[in-house]
Amino acid sequence: MITAVRQLLTCHWTSHRVQRYLDADPDAHLAPDEVARLEAHLAACERCTDLVAQHKALHWALSTWSRRSPVDPASVDRVRRFVDELSDGSRS
Amino acid sequence: MSDSAGSTDAARRHAFAELVEPQIEVLLRVARSLAGNAPDAEDLVQKALLRAFRGLDVFDGRHPRAWLLTILRNTNANLHRRQRPLIVDNWELIHTSRPAFGAAVQPSAEDSVVADQIDTTLWEAVSALDPRFRTALILVDLNDLSYAEAAAVLGVPVGTVMSRLSRARERVRRAVRPTPPIGEQHS
Repeated sequence: MITAVRQLLTCHWTSHRVQRYLDADPDAHLAPDEVARLEAHLAACERCTDLVAQHKALHWALSTWSRRSPVDPASVDRVRRFVDELSDGSRS
Repeated sequence: MSDSAGSTDAARRHAFAELVEPQIEVLLRVARSLAGNAPDAEDLVQKALLRAFRGLDVFDGRHPRAWLLTILRNTNANLHRRQRPLIVDNWELIHTSRPAFGAAVQPSAEDSVVADQIDTTLWEAVSALDPRFRTALILVDLNDLSYAEAAAVLGVPVGTVMSRLSRARERVRRAVRPTPPIGEQHS
């Protein structure tokens, strides 16, 4: 019983940190001991492993949408020329 | 202009180009989300870069992308002073084509049907989000910005971005996840 409750609490704790864990954003790093605890839990919890897999799949799916509609290379070239003109002094 | 002043100015211009060049694509991507279409996005980026060039002397040299994105936001705000608070609401633009969901290889006909259903479900889930949440999701998961960069675009604290992003992802995840069999559902 106590083990089950502890497991549930750790699942809850993990669910609140899993996005920061996956993003590894420089402004929101988990502490090393938090990472260790989370990874130890993931190694033992199928439910939370599944949660991680769902978040990874979601991020991957959304990033594919972005890749399907890339920035027009001609537009990049025009802005690059604009920057060149600013930096060589012909436009400022 | 003296030789010294001239070389300083040349170094400044060179530094600007070095700083901006790697950010052009992400600026255009974010500007497209802000402006709603590609021509306006390009115009917005050029206006922002001109402001950045003129303000280069006060830039501390750290986090150039966040600095440029902040200028992009301010430039956009100046262009549309009467508009509502910033919301990236043109995201249909991003999702212009919808091939089989995430297909890296040619899917079978059956897989293709399943993939398209998932894509549609995901699309509907993101569309149903509160625009503030959707904006955070688009900036971070589609445009690949960091929390701080998304905060710079939105003009909100990093914690606000994290909160909105977390809620957006959680709602979308719940909407698209496979329904567990009865008896295996968790609260």
